[in-house]
Amino acid sequence: MTQFTRRNVLAGALAASAAAAPLAFPARAAAPPAGKQAAGFYRYKVGQFECTSINDGARTFPMPDGFVRNVPKDQALAAAEAAYMPKGMVTVPFNPQLINTGSKLVLIDTGFGPTPNAPVGLLAANMAAAGIDPKAIDIVVVSHLHPDHTNGIKNAEGGLLFPNAEIKVPAVDWAFWMSDDNMAKAPNDMMKNYFANTRKVYAGLADKVTKYEWGSEVAPGITALDASGHTPGHTAFAVASGNARVLVQSDVTNIPELFLRNPDWHVAFDIDPQKAVQTRRKFYDMAAAEKALVVGFHFTFPSMGYVEKADAGYRLVPIAWNPVL
Amino acid sequence: MTEITRRNMLTGAVAATAAVQLVTTAPAQAAAPPAGTQAPGWYRYKVGSIEVTVVTDGANKFKFTDNHVTNKSREEVNAGLAAAYYEKDMMTTPYNPVVVNTGAKLAVIDTGTGEANFERSKGTAGQFQRNLAASGIDRNAVDVVIISHFHGDHINGLLTPDNKLAYPNAEILVPAAEWKYFMDDGEMSRAPQGRMQDVFKNLRRVFDAVGRKVTPYEPNKELVPGVTSVATPGHTPGHNSHVIASGSSKVYVQGDVTHVPFLFVRHPDWHAFYDQDGKMAEDTRRKVYDMLVAEKMMVQGFHYPFPSLAHVEKSGSGYREIPVPWSPTI
Repeated sequence: MTQFTRRNVLAGALAASAAAAPLAFPARAAAPPAGKQAAGFYRYKVGQFECTSINDGARTFPMPDGFVRNVPKDQALAAAEAAYMPKGMVTVPFNPQLINTGSKLVLIDTGFGPTPNAPVGLLAANMAAAGIDPKAIDIVVVSHLHPDHTNGIKNAEGGLLFPNAEIKVPAVDWAFWMSDDNMAKAPNDMMKNYFANTRKVYAGLADKVTKYEWGSEVAPGITALDASGHTPGHTAFAVASGNARVLVQSDVTNIPELFLRNPDWHVAFDIDPQKAVQTRRKFYDMAAAEKALVVGFHFTFPSMGYVEKADAGYRLVPIAWNPVL
Repeated sequence: MTEITRRNMLTGAVAATAAVQLVTTAPAQAAAPPAGTQAPGWYRYKVGSIEVTVVTDGANKFKFTDNHVTNKSREEVNAGLAAAYYEKDMMTTPYNPVVVNTGAKLAVIDTGTGEANFERSKGTAGQFQRNLAASGIDRNAVDVVIISHFHGDHINGLLTPDNKLAYPNAEILVPAAEWKYFMDDGEMSRAPQGRMQDVFKNLRRVFDAVGRKVTPYEPNKELVPGVTSVATPGHTPGHNSHVIASGSSKVYVQGDVTHVPFLFVRHPDWHAFYDQDGKMAEDTRRKVYDMLVAEKMMVQGFHYPFPSLAHVEKSGSGYREIPVPWSPTI
């Protein structure tokens, strides 16, 4: 049946048959486009643990000068284009992880928090879609104190989004970012902003956060690992239940399309880039050798994969979406 | 200070567990129950002005037989699986139909294993109608169902569990060559016993239930505005793929030009058990994939892992699919 719509009349494609159709005939309206993306959450099991990868959104922006500090911009742009990013642009996704250990509901990293008119800050909405009540979160573990990991502890009113959760921050990162001496020495606007942001987010909360050390369990089955370099206290996690385990790499690499393929590249956000490279190579040499499943905050949603050596660096092999849990 | 060591990365072993327990076991809040279900499997993207929704039917995981790849040994297949981080001796086959809203027409391309299979498979497959509803699409609004070929995982979803039309308002378009071949009783009588007889019987069951009311289509026809058929024979005699085109954008909905990509895109010379004419299927596969690489056209693969949209590159003697990053917005 041909429908008498503005579209096909203007297009002229079906003009003859449309005109021939009796006007009294009740033509069914074309279905409107749905116009909406699926909620960004994905569940997986690690032994007895039920985990949920929850997308906070993604930013696509023109690659700024110095995004990769130690290679010419043309080279960085070529790598982005080879990874099918829009010409001149770079896309960075953000993916906190929720882990239900059976005894504790644990959120690792929190995204940007409410960010009007931006393609990020989606954590709360995607959590709601996944049926998770923020009040049920027992522990929020922050991997490091960059805004895309920590700002989501707050709701739109500036209160705590997870009112019943203990907030755990890496002791080393806390000491670094809360040091007035370090703030005074901040070498550029980006770092100045990060210092200011940390103070703003945690204003009035200094007595409420728990500082964790590397080598400790931040929750049952979740061990904090020294992955410093990206920030002084940057932490990765081993999540283990029974014989199963995954590695939550946090920001050991920024986007894999650039920084796993080229592990020696320095992303602008790495505070100690040499140490970050050492950490990256050590982490991924081991993950590759052991075929460990890795969760990456900046991997494309659902942000999990295996990592193998390729050329002078590594390649991420994303997991296949499992349609059942 | 704990460094990244093989021991702590891979065992999660902790030095200070006892001390930490004192802290973490203090509050007495009840644990949240596990959710126990996967997220609904649908994903949306635009091709020009056309809205495409990939709606998964789920996946089937099974022990494969020695002739699963007819020209390769079990050892070679297991090596292929290991290279893609799949467990040995097990095959995971996802099913991913797509829904195309051209603005004028709402079309479903292939239908999955059918709702009746949801119970039978204990929910691992037969998910299409559930996921379609979750995506906000009403099956009654579907104008056209386009079938790529007559295997059960593509046509069984034409029927509800009580053998009624799953899309009561839709015209059913089938490849003319497929219809001619498979509805020919002579061809059926000459087909080998076992799987091929089952294929003939199943498609008669399905098409008889719809009163054989179908519209055969030829290759190189625009079936709905922006969706054009392409002959891609080999997997079955009348197998067709479909190109979605709008503005300057195109996506190649390949049907079963390859079965699972981690075996048959990497190794286009491997012949899946399901390919009726293995050599012809391989020739078609190479032709299509060389074109996709040359044109830098994205492929939407029925048996690719959800959401099953990818770029294609040459790699070694075959190809490699690069999954398209999930976009949180359309």
